[in-house]
Amino acid sequence: MTILLFLIPISLLLLAVAIGAFVWAVRKGQFDDLDTPPLDMLRDDDRPMPPRPDERD
Amino acid sequence: MNRALATACHHCGEPLPATPVLVELDGQARAMCCNGCAAAAAWIRDAGLDDYYRLRQAPGARVDEAAADYRSWDREDVQAGHVEHGSDGDRITVVVEGMHCAACAWLIDRALQREPGMREVSANAVTGRVRLAWDPARTKLSALLQRLAALGYRPHLARGEQAERERRRERNRLIIRLGVAALGATQAMMFSEALYLDTAREMPDATRDFFRWLSFLTSTPVVFFSGWPFLAGMLRELRLRRPGMDTLVATSVLLAYFASLAETLRGGVHVWFDAAVMFVFFLLAARFLERMARRKASARLDTLARAQPALAWREGGEGLEQVPVTALQAGDRVRVGVGEAVPADGELETAASFDESLLTGESAPVPRQAGETVYAGSTCRESACWLRVQRTGSDTRLSQLARTVEQAQAQRPRLAQLAEAVSMRFVLFLFAAALATGLVWWQLQPGRAFEIALAVLVVSCPCALSLAVPAALATAHGTLARMGVLALRPDGLDALANADTVVFDKTGTLTLGQPQLRGVQCFGAEGREAVLALAASLELGAGHPLAHAFGASASAAEDLQAHPGLGIEGRVDGRVLRLGRADFAAGREDDGALWLGDGRQALARFEVADALRPDAAATVARLRELGLRPVLLSGDAAAPVADVAAAVGIDDHAARLSPEDKLARVRALQAQGHRVLMLGDGINDAPVLAGADVSVAMAGGAPLAHRAADLVLTGTRLGRVPQVLELARRSRRVIRQNLAWAMAYNLIALPFAAVGWVTPGLAALGMAASSLLVTGNALRLGRLPAEPA
Repeated sequence: MTILLFLIPISLLLLAVAIGAFVWAVRKGQFDDLDTPPLDMLRDDDRPMPPRPDERD
Repeated sequence: MNRALATACHHCGEPLPATPVLVELDGQARAMCCNGCAAAAAWIRDAGLDDYYRLRQAPGARVDEAAADYRSWDREDVQAGHVEHGSDGDRITVVVEGMHCAACAWLIDRALQREPGMREVSANAVTGRVRLAWDPARTKLSALLQRLAALGYRPHLARGEQAERERRRERNRLIIRLGVAALGATQAMMFSEALYLDTAREMPDATRDFFRWLSFLTSTPVVFFSGWPFLAGMLRELRLRRPGMDTLVATSVLLAYFASLAETLRGGVHVWFDAAVMFVFFLLAARFLERMARRKASARLDTLARAQPALAWREGGEGLEQVPVTALQAGDRVRVGVGEAVPADGELETAASFDESLLTGESAPVPRQAGETVYAGSTCRESACWLRVQRTGSDTRLSQLARTVEQAQAQRPRLAQLAEAVSMRFVLFLFAAALATGLVWWQLQPGRAFEIALAVLVVSCPCALSLAVPAALATAHGTLARMGVLALRPDGLDALANADTVVFDKTGTLTLGQPQLRGVQCFGAEGREAVLALAASLELGAGHPLAHAFGASASAAEDLQAHPGLGIEGRVDGRVLRLGRADFAAGREDDGALWLGDGRQALARFEVADALRPDAAATVARLRELGLRPVLLSGDAAAPVADVAAAVGIDDHAARLSPEDKLARVRALQAQGHRVLMLGDGINDAPVLAGADVSVAMAGGAPLAHRAADLVLTGTRLGRVPQVLELARRSRRVIRQNLAWAMAYNLIALPFAAVGWVTPGLAALGMAASSLLVTGNALRLGRLPAEPA
């Protein structure tokens, strides 16, 4: 059972790391908009950018 | 492709006119309703952003054909207070109308990013806000806004940025609390599980205590950090001496936590750390879901609840000029048209009457004499007026009232208040029941008394009851907003579900409200152009649907007076002129046409016809299917009203009604026991909209009508009305299901806990499951109704 004395502190350490990472992500605004980013990957940007139409007259 | 595409504009989804504009997309010709939409679609295609049409979940917003002029936004005085000047360029946050889904945000992002001088764009579809950062040396703000407007997203200056930042901070704090609760609770439950699995009690005391201390360690942040909203809520409720839900939750959690700590210290038989953390985590999750639904609902309302207009007509060097409200200064002369909101507090120069309901809650218009002060946010009625500005911006009474308005938004509907009141009584009853159970068990089996009392307290917590209504309403309102419908009154949805009669207005509701001029006959010395110019001057200040028919006018008439049901009267170049029914304007027999004259002599006769909305007949048929009796009440002449009634299939119609007549008819229907839904748009409808049980206003109508309505359609599709009605009925059903479930659960669980069949851990699980169940049931209302084919 002495293995517990070793494993449990590690799990607590991992818990602290997980909470720290989560707080960092929230502070960085990773959770601000959960709707737009998923769309970005649905489209590839490989197509060459067309020349910007000159719409200002 | 289905038929919906052939009858609706490919860009904005509005009904197509007889001759749509065609744009080729993906090798297919797509029909657009107007040149504005066509130009936007062509630009999106040419910019290689046509994925937008595949990604979007809702049609875009209609694009104005006339390019709006945003040049005044470049001025230093307009930008003051909104633009942050940084070393890496300028930044501004604008609120955008018409952003419906994530694809819109994506389109805005991509479209603006390729503007020269653009540094950073971030568009948020939930809050409707776009943050722009640009290089002032390379581009102007107006050019960027023009681009936005050309895609159909009209920008407005964001008000209440401070509040928005505060809201974001609060949301992030809630997410962190939830995350800590999730991580901490899983750990604490795992350690508790180890203790539970030791059924034969073979674990050495040292190991057992080690695991108990670990549970204590991991559950402490969950109870005190994640659970802080409940603890703070308890403190608040106790200060107010009104124990409520938070008191119950916090008491249960703290009891479980401290009793477990005591047991750990003295080596007792049981600990209940798992019950405490589960309780906190699941309740926080339910609360988070409810908060998100509510935020989605209110964000859209925020962008449109702009009582203060963004632009004002100011007297400048060369006549009237349109300026942003922020550019107004004390001493400016400002003109306010009929149905328009007053832009700033000021002294009145001409007598007029005002609807000050926003400021005072009094819905009857208040007559004001020259020299009196009128307040920003009140609406000018019956005649246009001039005023001299005294206080602007944040000094106005409206801004002082802004906090009150915010509170009104948070106001709870009757049903929610009822559920809250019931659950508050229930809380007191529960404390008593838990105490009684504990005392009884103390006599029978002192060792189990505390555990059973705790189980009673936890298992029958009426959290589901207090979540049942608000979660459903918040989700329903969010769905409404995504459908382009704004609920302005909290009880509107409930009243809508009960309606059994629908009263339509004709002009602007069943018809497009943009009459076309079919013919002109001149009787006086003036020619065709001259009479049209006179009519246009009269209509300019009236905000009447007929105004579009006569084209633009250089100057507005003076002393403009609206005679509801008859027409308008005003002074042009010194002549008093009337425009309206023949008996009012020209002293002749009314023939359904529009006459211009001085009251006795006719100057001209205008043949005006209004086209039916393409989806009017289908809407009436659908409402009839839903069990509503349609009635058409109009101020128009008998012949056109009968034509429209026949075309859409309404048998019950009446013509030539003044607003008072309409209101009397509605009252008569109500006296027969009918619950009346009123659909209208114009200034004339305001009293009827307010008098009906529930009312829906069309967005194209005068702003005044919106204030009196319960719901406002921001799009132009009439077909939304039956969809909203179905949503209202669905929400009523879900609310009833939720209440029934919550009640039944609490009543059944209580006896089980009292006889000692439920452990505190099981109790926490059951209660949390019940709360999540009602929240999940409420979230079903987030589904958009199917589009009619």
